[in-house]
Amino acid sequence: MRRPLSVFLSASLSVLALSGCRREEIQTYTVKKEPAATPVASAPVAPNADAAMRNTAVTTAEGPGLNWTTPAHWKPGPEKAMRKATFLIPGVNGAPGAELAVTAFPGDVGGPLANVNRWRGQLSLPPLAEGDLTAALNHLDVGPLHLDYVELAAAGSPPARRVLGALVPHAGATWFFKLDGPDAVVAQEKPAFLAFLQSLRPAN
Amino acid sequence: MRALYLEFVRFFVSLRLTVGLLALSALLVLFATLDQVHLGIWAVQEKWFRSFIVLHELKGFPVPVFPGGYFIGGLLLINLVAAHLKRFALTWKKAGIQLVHGGLILLLLGELLTGLLQEEYQLRLDEGQTRNYSESWRFNELAVVDDTNATTDIVTAIPEQLLTDLGNELQVPALPFRVVPRAYYPNASLMLKENVPAGRPVVDNPATAGLGARLAITPLPITYQQDQRNLPAALVELFGPEGSLGTYLVSTMLTEPQRFSYAGREWTLALRFRRAYKPYALTLIDFSHDRYAGTEIPKNFSSRVRLTTPDGRDDREVLIYMNNPLRYDGLTFYQAGFDNNDKTTVLQVVHNPSWLIPYISCLLMTLGLLWQFGAHLLGFSRKRAAA
Repeated sequence: MRRPLSVFLSASLSVLALSGCRREEIQTYTVKKEPAATPVASAPVAPNADAAMRNTAVTTAEGPGLNWTTPAHWKPGPEKAMRKATFLIPGVNGAPGAELAVTAFPGDVGGPLANVNRWRGQLSLPPLAEGDLTAALNHLDVGPLHLDYVELAAAGSPPARRVLGALVPHAGATWFFKLDGPDAVVAQEKPAFLAFLQSLRPAN
Repeated sequence: MRALYLEFVRFFVSLRLTVGLLALSALLVLFATLDQVHLGIWAVQEKWFRSFIVLHELKGFPVPVFPGGYFIGGLLLINLVAAHLKRFALTWKKAGIQLVHGGLILLLLGELLTGLLQEEYQLRLDEGQTRNYSESWRFNELAVVDDTNATTDIVTAIPEQLLTDLGNELQVPALPFRVVPRAYYPNASLMLKENVPAGRPVVDNPATAGLGARLAITPLPITYQQDQRNLPAALVELFGPEGSLGTYLVSTMLTEPQRFSYAGREWTLALRFRRAYKPYALTLIDFSHDRYAGTEIPKNFSSRVRLTTPDGRDDREVLIYMNNPLRYDGLTFYQAGFDNNDKTTVLQVVHNPSWLIPYISCLLMTLGLLWQFGAHLLGFSRKRAAA
């Protein structure tokens, strides 16, 4: 019994001593390219992102930002790392409300067709062909800004959902304003959303 | 020599050592629980339990203050096994005790294996999105990607830990340049230089290339809160045979990688949440957040996902909801959260090869206790019947 015991004791002490040593290593591997970026919430939320980040164009798009005026009943939502801003629009009598997400990314982020189809995909709507895009987009000229917005509704999948999405090219970046929520709430908020779009101005 | 050996054995098999270690374990749990107020659960686990010696910072210097979990647990394990080897006797009468101790040994081993092998990642999916990798909640990596090919990326992932070794030249066969960390901030906020308000503390930013040259860095204290994460930033200088290619500022705050061309190839550089790629992909078909009618009180969260493998071996829909995770390929996918107005799901992805061990050890201990107390009860009732 003595021999196995001493072997066991020395072996376990060595294991204990060695188990503390772990060094991380550099890895190289090949992966398939990811499909076009999905801007909203494509990274883990970082709740401690500095509050100042929300008002700058640093994290996601370079260049100057945009200013806007929101209706009084839109409440600022929680800060999220990928978002420039979030606004919550309450539903009636405690029913689920809608959310306006503001994001911005460098370049054209795949162009209007890819982004409209991304939103359509989120509502389980079939993608649009390129020829149908012009009819789907509504154009607005707001001060120096030239923007397009789209209205999408998915009535089939209960609860019915509606999305009002605007794409605003500005200073080499594209800003996205996406109002998403229950069909009735978003439809009711459409005038407020359009007024909000009319209030957009370059920050400087 | 023999006397020394006997003394050594006597020490490791003694019951006094067991009692001492159990008392230390109780104190360890107490102190760690108190420290959790300042550090949060992850840091406490690393500092108090997954360490040999607990180091506490006093005036900026780490001072050893208590034996760590690995030390106490390790000695307890050695003590238990050694005592068994020394005193082991295969009798029915002692079978219960042996089962209980066997279960305890297994439990300690299981925790050691969990500490060494368990990995926790998360997978965020928007509805309709497909991903074949999960991201770490706690660890980051510098991804240097050869982006030249139209369909594939050659990724060189440098663990964040290596970026803390400033001035150390990192040379990797896949890269035609060397990467040299120049500065590292475990948590930092970035702002465009022209937007920095007066009075906001910033540190020197020697970035010469990419977006970083336009940014100001404000180091922030490390957060230990469970629902927050640190956003590290680092300055890395790239060197080719001809000299410096520029200093880049990278941060997990910058979600777009920075691009550059070198040696006839296209490259991207980004500090990102550490990724773990899988040989299969998950697509979020639908996320449901059911509430009790007429209220905002959550009733159920569930994610309907499609699991596909490139070889077509698997292509099926899975419903993941509370207490009903998907177990696949050695990983467990739990429903952990949601976001983006109920259109994004957050799955916790856990790799723990030793997840069954605690169940087996509890079973062994239960059987052992039943055996032991059953035998005593039987003996007692026999004695009573005889009297």
